[in-house]
Amino acid sequence: MAWEKFNPNLAAHDLVQDMKWDPKLREEFKRDEAAVLDRYAMMPEERRAIEARDFRTLYDLGMHPYLGGQLSRFIWGNDAGKGAIEASNKLVASLQGHSRDIPDS
Amino acid sequence: MGQIVFAAAAPHAPAIVGLFDRAPPDSQKVVKETYAAITRELLAARPDVLIVFANDHLANSRITLYPDFLIGTAARHSGPHEWFQEWIGCRDYSAKGNPAVAKALFQGMTRRGIRMSTRDENLKFDDNISVPVVLTDLDRTDITLVPVLQNCTVPPFPGPEKCYEVGIALRDFIERDLPQDMRVGLFGSGGLSHEPGGVKYYKIDEAFDRAFLDLCVRNDHKALLKDITVDRLEAAGIGGTAEVLSWFPVMAAIGERPGRSFGYTGWPSFRCGVGGVIWDLDTRQ
Repeated sequence: MAWEKFNPNLAAHDLVQDMKWDPKLREEFKRDEAAVLDRYAMMPEERRAIEARDFRTLYDLGMHPYLGGQLSRFIWGNDAGKGAIEASNKLVASLQGHSRDIPDS
Repeated sequence: MGQIVFAAAAPHAPAIVGLFDRAPPDSQKVVKETYAAITRELLAARPDVLIVFANDHLANSRITLYPDFLIGTAARHSGPHEWFQEWIGCRDYSAKGNPAVAKALFQGMTRRGIRMSTRDENLKFDDNISVPVVLTDLDRTDITLVPVLQNCTVPPFPGPEKCYEVGIALRDFIERDLPQDMRVGLFGSGGLSHEPGGVKYYKIDEAFDRAFLDLCVRNDHKALLKDITVDRLEAAGIGGTAEVLSWFPVMAAIGERPGRSFGYTGWPSFRCGVGGVIWDLDTRQ
């Protein structure tokens, strides 16, 4: 992604920032993701990309990569060890379209 | 007039705390020696206040209304922020703030044509402030903290020239506005090359990092402003490498004094190049 695609208007940015600030929203996202997504005025393709865990499309729509990385942690895990590694591995695999060149630890 | 008695800069990658035990010995050595030297020299300099320039990671303001420089004016600065605790895996801390210096900085920079913002509440700190505070045990000293959270990631963010201009104004503020004999430390927190959340999440631009560290050690301002452009920063890692812009106010404020580095590591699982600099304030080139 390059900054020319960055679109600060995406509602997905608000979703991620709200989850950073609200532990209850994070729990609800885990429990009932659709209900949380319903409350954000996303473009249909933006919502589809989140549901499909398709970060490449999400970034092409203009998602800020730092908040994209944090979204991957809300989905796959956030702890300093295993969870974050799984999150960043899956994020990078989605962005590059394959799982090569991803370290084990 | 106030006096700058300490100046340093180093990365704050959370993995240098959270994944430290898993890192190879050479990489551990760089982290350990860099922050040990910073801690030792910070304590020896006995500053009354440490002003830390560190980028905000979209933790304190909406992306649609994003300040370029946000000064924390709280009486205490506690962290890490709730969501970040699990991520960083470091201890809690509560460092003494310095509302008087923080507010004077806001007023002083405004007078000098530099737009900053303030917030009285405890800012939400992630690795930006937490890593340097915990690795130096700043909260266990009498040194007060003034955090300045900088926009290095939401375009258009202040580039090298603007950050340099901030440093020139900062020096004038310290010399003219702060009380007689106040001892001031400066710290730039951020970098080196990394691309958090990007396709190059695991890629580190070692050539950039080593060249940047070399420029900082030489502290040749003309070369720094010529070689370190926003395009070069973004080529070395979008949305992350530009954190080194938090080093620029520090380097500009102290003038062209040489520094010392304590090694470099580009271990991929740190997801960030790591190396720091302490500048020698009693030597002018």
